[in-house]
Amino acid sequence: MLPAIAPGDWLLTDPTIRRWPRTGSVVVFREPGSGVLALKRVSPPPGGAFPVELRPDEAWLTGDADETTAAAAAFGPPLDSRAYGPVGVDRLVARAWLRYWPPRRLGRIPHRAR
Amino acid sequence: MYRLTRWLEPKTVVRAHCDLPCGIYDPEQARIEAESVYKTIEKYHASDDPIFRGRALHIKEERAELVKHHLDVLWHDYFKPEHLGTVPNLHELFWNANKQASKVKGSLDLEEAKKLLGMIDEVDAAWKATGGPAKTRIAGRPG
Repeated sequence: MLPAIAPGDWLLTDPTIRRWPRTGSVVVFREPGSGVLALKRVSPPPGGAFPVELRPDEAWLTGDADETTAAAAAFGPPLDSRAYGPVGVDRLVARAWLRYWPPRRLGRIPHRAR
Repeated sequence: MYRLTRWLEPKTVVRAHCDLPCGIYDPEQARIEAESVYKTIEKYHASDDPIFRGRALHIKEERAELVKHHLDVLWHDYFKPEHLGTVPNLHELFWNANKQASKVKGSLDLEEAKKLLGMIDEVDAAWKATGGPAKTRIAGRPG
């Protein structure tokens, strides 16, 4: 999720959220399958030749690195909605909105309209 | 200061990583499966028991599929754009080897299985030329 979020950043999150926030927000959720707590960005679902239609309670979540960057870093294929599909709101845990530590990283987590 | 950071410290750790890469890659995995394919074709031809032959076919196809899987993992996860400088025909190499693995999956021709072994050896040479053995295997096994 660089540069928005770096390994070791401490984040302030809003766990009272009950609906997927708007596109570009960063959310904490339980990954489908593994149940691991993960952090991704709410993104527009794919269009093009194979469009994905979301139900009202679903979101399309992706990491900030595109597939080429992830492959170049040898991370393997991205583990996000491109792998597990749309995510239901029952898996939403919180919305991340502030980095507060280390002090040089202090700031709001930037929105990104994609 | 310590007390302040202790107080500020988050109670939950969240993962933002794309995946968990173990970073271990070796064309030997594909080679072993391709050798299995080769031997199974040999055994198929040496037998006239239809049940044995049926099993051999099934196993051969399963192993050929695993060859493709291991080649794909090397191609997608180990090799990086900068390796094209050392191995300019990298994509062609994998394209041909995977095509050959598909061909062998549907064939009982020993020569085709042998060709596949040769192509995996070319992938192995590319892996070695890009420093694969030192970068992606753990040293220290007894020789």
